[in-house]
Amino acid sequence: MRMHFEIEGGDFTAAGRASSEVKKTLKQFNIPPEVLRKVAIALYEAEMNVVAHAWSGTMDADILPEGIHVVMEDKGPGIEDIERAMEEGFSTATEEVRQMGFGAGMGLPNIRKNSDRMVLTSTPGVGTRLEITVAF
Amino acid sequence: MVKERDYRHSIRIDRDKCIGCSHCMRVCSTQAIRIVEGYASIQPERCVDCGECYRVCPQRAIYARDDGLASMRDDAYRIALVPSVFIGQFPSDYSATEVLEAVKTCGFDEICEVEQAVDFMKEAYRTYADNLFARPVISSYCPAVVRLIQVLYPSLTPHIMLLKAPHDIAALYLRLSKEREGIDPGKIFIYYVTPCAAKTVAARAPVGEAASPIDGTINMKEVYNKTLGTLLGRKERSARKRMADMTPDSVCWSLSGTEKHYFPGRSLAIDGMENVIEFLEKLESGHLSDIDFLELRACDQGCAGGILCPGNRFLTVERLEQRQKRLQLLMDQRGGGVENRLMDYGEMLQPLSGVEPVHPRDGLLLDEDMEKALIKLQRIKRLMTYFPGFDCGACGAPTCRSLAEDIVQGKASISHCVFVQRVMEKNYKLSPDQAFEVIEKIRGRDRLNKYNDTNENER
Repeated sequence: MRMHFEIEGGDFTAAGRASSEVKKTLKQFNIPPEVLRKVAIALYEAEMNVVAHAWSGTMDADILPEGIHVVMEDKGPGIEDIERAMEEGFSTATEEVRQMGFGAGMGLPNIRKNSDRMVLTSTPGVGTRLEITVAF
Repeated sequence: MVKERDYRHSIRIDRDKCIGCSHCMRVCSTQAIRIVEGYASIQPERCVDCGECYRVCPQRAIYARDDGLASMRDDAYRIALVPSVFIGQFPSDYSATEVLEAVKTCGFDEICEVEQAVDFMKEAYRTYADNLFARPVISSYCPAVVRLIQVLYPSLTPHIMLLKAPHDIAALYLRLSKEREGIDPGKIFIYYVTPCAAKTVAARAPVGEAASPIDGTINMKEVYNKTLGTLLGRKERSARKRMADMTPDSVCWSLSGTEKHYFPGRSLAIDGMENVIEFLEKLESGHLSDIDFLELRACDQGCAGGILCPGNRFLTVERLEQRQKRLQLLMDQRGGGVENRLMDYGEMLQPLSGVEPVHPRDGLLLDEDMEKALIKLQRIKRLMTYFPGFDCGACGAPTCRSLAEDIVQGKASISHCVFVQRVMEKNYKLSPDQAFEVIEKIRGRDRLNKYNDTNENER
């Protein structure tokens, strides 16, 4: 089953809505609570990244019997150095974003920690694509 | 995966009074209520006994089942465990000692205030914080909150504190001390005077332990009526306490905002079902860090807002605050001394104070089988496109979404929706007689007959 969401960059008040919808849906399945929590955290962090860095984006979640596969695509500045972006504590978030309690540089490492497979590709100046898989 | 499937409940519907009006259905946080054949019906796997339905029922058809004063055995040594909020039901010119003495006239041999166990809890929290349990630790004090987490927030169950509640600790202390006094353990019966339905369930079907040390629960309203009668009939006033028998703020433990101060680190106190739910949603998404402890109460103002408390919750809070001040004064007069006899049993109670891990319930589950669940979810999505999204409740389900869920579970049919029904009638898919039958299935068979006569007059 597929769920599709549009995410608006910069709208911190609405952030977390898409990941929360997916989480609510998953609760209706026989999935261990630990796995549910992993998905919830990974998707929330991914959604926050779009809100904090990009202009707009989409989230497509495919729920399958064996796991969940999520693709996040955004239009935005992209990531210059993916390897550095994956380091804990590295962040390009603006001072404004940091003051709101985000941008601690834990987002991507946190997604990796809470997913079974993660593929991150980006074209600077165009946008970023993130694929996350969590097995049930 | 370990699941908990013990669904005993205290909240019940009295079918003699219920008219199927659906007020209860609309306020239920876990969407556990449906209207079937003219009566509210509670789904046991979803109900958390929070009692929000009890508050709104205009027919007083919802009640909290308890063991009652009538269940007391004559040959037993009967002890009443009375929570501080009970004392807060009475004007401050009645002393705590007087109120508790008056409770005795309900037929008890001895009375013990639950909050006596709070000094023990305070120490237990300090040691608990040294363990590396998942943060934030969620208080296990409010049994409705514990069950809410089991049903709606399965992934948060590892956060629930694995400690017994004060009334259980107090009951264990009473057993130990009475046995030491030479009373036959088989004769000791401990009754808890409960401010809510959830605590009755906690005593009957505890989470994380095989059996509760409490033998029975009695609705606070029943004890209140008898106690007030005794107090009003009394001519002489009895003496006030000379010595603080617990630390002063213990009396406010069941309210919102005292407990949280005793867990080291950063903590929050949240009360009221909606507030608790809003916060747990946030917590479940993992976007809260560096909070160590959550004190959550299903009722607004904590137990002072319990559904079985007869008095006004705000008055109760103020009276308990006054009492805290009086105890503080007593304590100061004695150079800071507190004479809590329960604490003499601290070492014996300590190994008894833990509970087993809490497991999720499957109240939200569509199907055990993942593939079947996915097919059902797809059907729900399709059904949702037919429904208006009004959440009018005329179908007997609280939301269009819950009707769709009921349909895929075989508990309802699409013609239950009054809007879909009109379309089906227009397209000759449903005869007026069939449509009438559907409505009768929701509203009840005899209930619609009264319209036959009024029709004539209204016209």
